Amino acid sequence: MTISKKKMIEMYTTMYRIRQFESKLQEFFAASKIPGFVHLYLGEEAVAAGACAALNKEDYITSTHRGHGHLIAKGGDLKLMMAEIFGKSTGYCKGKGGSMHIADVDLGILGANGIVGGGGPIATGAGMAIQYRGEDRVAVCFFGDGASNQGTTQEALNLASAWELPVVFVNENNGYGISCPISKSMAITDIADRAAGYDMPGVIVDGNDVTAVYEAITAAVARARKGEGPSLVECKTYRWRGHFEGDACTYREKDEVDEWIKKDPIPRCAQKMLDEGILTEKELDALHAKIDTELQEAITFAEESPLPEPADLFEDVYA
Amino acid sequence: MLLPAGSRFSLKHNILSILMTTVGIIANPISGKDIRRLVAHGSVFDNQEKVRIVRRIMMGLSSLGVQRVMFMPDYYAIVPRAQKGIHSNIELISAPMCADNSQDDSTKAARLMAEAGVGCIFVLGGDGTSRAVTKGNATIPILPISTGTNNVFPFMIEATIAGLAGGLIASGQVSPEQGCFRPTCLEILNEDGSVRDIALVDAAVHTDTYIGSKAIWSLDQVSQIFLTRCRPDTIGLSAIGGQLHTISPRELQGLHLTLGTVGTTFTAPIAPGLIEPATVTEEARMKVGDTIFIKESPCVIALDGEREVEVRRGEHVSVRLSAQGPLVVDVSQVMATAQQDKLFMH
Repeated sequence: MTISKKKMIEMYTTMYRIRQFESKLQEFFAASKIPGFVHLYLGEEAVAAGACAALNKEDYITSTHRGHGHLIAKGGDLKLMMAEIFGKSTGYCKGKGGSMHIADVDLGILGANGIVGGGGPIATGAGMAIQYRGEDRVAVCFFGDGASNQGTTQEALNLASAWELPVVFVNENNGYGISCPISKSMAITDIADRAAGYDMPGVIVDGNDVTAVYEAITAAVARARKGEGPSLVECKTYRWRGHFEGDACTYREKDEVDEWIKKDPIPRCAQKMLDEGILTEKELDALHAKIDTELQEAITFAEESPLPEPADLFEDVYA
Repeated sequence: MLLPAGSRFSLKHNILSILMTTVGIIANPISGKDIRRLVAHGSVFDNQEKVRIVRRIMMGLSSLGVQRVMFMPDYYAIVPRAQKGIHSNIELISAPMCADNSQDDSTKAARLMAEAGVGCIFVLGGDGTSRAVTKGNATIPILPISTGTNNVFPFMIEATIAGLAGGLIASGQVSPEQGCFRPTCLEILNEDGSVRDIALVDAAVHTDTYIGSKAIWSLDQVSQIFLTRCRPDTIGLSAIGGQLHTISPRELQGLHLTLGTVGTTFTAPIAPGLIEPATVTEEARMKVGDTIFIKESPCVIALDGEREVEVRRGEHVSVRLSAQGPLVVDVSQVMATAQQDKLFMH
């Protein structure tokens, strides 16, 4: 499988955009500038960037409570995302949903999800709709190691396989469900091992290598498009921050975090592009500057946008 | 000294030396799960099966009186889980290392086991795991058991028998001269002649520049293949050479193939369920010490089926056939010797 220079730059750009977005949110949360909780994706950027680079605009994704990276990778609007996280009326959900409820159906983003394991049934449902309508689309379900223990996820895997639906289950195994290491919560610590129980292929890739993720998801998507059914791709990765901002992280050692920070997917990809002459240092700096400007515009938009009016509380209420 | 309960070893042998015997077990939790489940038809080799394999090895060892196992720590705790499922008085010792869940773990564990003086190292994995173990140990016999994808180097064998054979070697009841052999390997050399890496079965020049998901499942970008062994009934890149020649693991020679668009085309199973055409434009036998310069730069060198060595633009490497492969337990030979010497007779 050849990865073009254009694709490498695209994936790097996505990773860097996510990194900068999340780093800003980390600052804003610490400064009490944003309401509600945020669950940052720092360290896991290669999974969303590699997976979404293998998709078309028409394809669907379902996300998680740690969803900013997925949304950005699928093309989410930074201004609308930032405004939503700031609780402003110009945000994706008019400021009433916050970090965990951002969706953009036009981009195939079927939503972040505040419920652990909530994305699986939605992705399988989307897969069923695709199959029923005979469309050339796939649905990708991002889910964590904690979600893999939820019944909803197992039901989604089972039905997707039983009906040979075009769904790719992308597991982000970052080693912890909230504060609990997988060794204490799971009988089987390789989520890919569970695939055999649902008669689908299960593979493991280095979730901190964007090219490895891209190759695996491209292969899984190709199977799905050909009508060969779902696959499960487990991406071994790590979240640098706590489960949520404010988490004291007393359940893990600093050495462990430091070891994973050494495996940072972003400089790894940057170095590869420099070595291969895909970009020069100057071009890389220009790329960073462009994204930083784009992000600053999103922040300014969010900061200058109005909060919802009290009367807006009664709008968009369905039940 | 009393025999351990259930021991079946012959009283002709030195009981003390057997009881003092330590064997090593390196079980790779990640083997058998790469992208070839998606792009070919590889089976998912789950860790529970590896636990069961280790259990059977331990039963074989236990029956011989071997009472101590040093194991590589891993995130699934394959060896400790294996012991939980059996009533064995084997003492488990973790190799003194922190696992970082990379192939370096196998290399590090092998080195520590060799330093600790184990009598034999069982290796559960594919060709790549045996390669990693060999990088850490050249002296202690290894007994590789297949739990990978393209398995040419390790044995597809019942683990109980492997446990018996490895135990016989480790305890000295069958000597390495009687029951082991040392195959060739391929050395990837830097421009200054230093060894950068090794391969046990095949090294392939891949014209791409990134490692990605590691496996090779298409020959489109493979320009050269180096082989230490080949047969017509194996799988992986060596299957291409196997359509031309048979080179057994004990022969001190290798094969160099150049692939292209003009030449003799064969079909060969290069991955499970994946049978592809390969056009060989040139072939040459290699003798031990033969070194071939790789012109391509940049490129990636795949070792035992996995893209491993990135050759940067302007950098060059060579491939040399070496006689210094790992010392490997020949299970059939060991069991035949045991039969001949009546080692299992009561």
